[in-house]
Amino acid sequence: MSNLLEASVQPRQDAIEAEQAQFVALASPGAVLTGTQRVTLAAAARTGQVADGLETLAHHLYTEPAAVHEQHVRKAADLFGDPATVEAIGIVSRLSSVDRIHTVLGVDPEPLPEPLPGEPTEAVAKGLKRRRGFLPKPPGEIPTTLDLVPGEGHALRAMFGPMYMTEHEMGDPNFRREPGLNTPQLETVAARISLLNRCFY
Amino acid sequence: MFSHARRLSWSGETLGYTINIAAIGGEEVDLGIEGGNELIDLVDAFFAGDESQQESARKAVIEVLGPESFFDSATVFGNFEMMNRIAEGTGIGIPPQWIERHAEMVETLHLTDAMKSQQT
Repeated sequence: MSNLLEASVQPRQDAIEAEQAQFVALASPGAVLTGTQRVTLAAAARTGQVADGLETLAHHLYTEPAAVHEQHVRKAADLFGDPATVEAIGIVSRLSSVDRIHTVLGVDPEPLPEPLPGEPTEAVAKGLKRRRGFLPKPPGEIPTTLDLVPGEGHALRAMFGPMYMTEHEMGDPNFRREPGLNTPQLETVAARISLLNRCFY
Repeated sequence: MFSHARRLSWSGETLGYTINIAAIGGEEVDLGIEGGNELIDLVDAFFAGDESQQESARKAVIEVLGPESFFDSATVFGNFEMMNRIAEGTGIGIPPQWIERHAEMVETLHLTDAMKSQQT
């Protein structure tokens, strides 16, 4: 059951499924964090009740992304490691997305899931280096930025299609959801949010 | 933001609209696409945090563009809350030469000072 079903407008099934998949991913063991650590991090992002530097970064990124600077990220990465920091950024970013969708639709946020048992997978890409950013990544644009931890990169890309448009759809200026917004309308929302978040990329 | 402002111009022109990108920068002008200003008002209402403004903005988008489009606007809003945090958290920025190349758009959006401060 998703709170999206409480909205005054009919939610798209693919969006419901994408959101539910994100909550399963959140509760599951990551590359270096357990399910419990990941859900605790998400709770800290929402509430500001933080116990360590990684949770502090998570809360800042959730509440005021433009105020997060290199020294904040590198401080967390030096203490907890690059993979844990990538996991934290992925978790918080996707949680921010889901929470904002609920706010705009006027429905309650989803309660955080119960953590799933298991050990971290240790699935971390080898041989990557820092390029123009704060953390190691392969060459490529924004969709590749979390690929130090392949599970985080996959979770990010799984949100794109249902919530915005797929990479294939992005290549078509005539794309429109039927029924729904067309490309210029989708880009209007994207551009205005990014400007207000002071994210100039 | 710039990549999406550019995509807005590109797709809008392809569809035959005359886009006034200054609306994205907050100027009270017609953006040039159906429901464009209502979508901007929706985003602004949630950044302002005023609940009555939010409700009016929701109703305006539903009235002008329909309920399915309102749902789409919510999901794309969420998507870019995510993407903005990934960009900020990982430090993916704009190369200085890109800013020089798109100086006109930077000026239209009143971002010259903000972008200079980000580069330092």
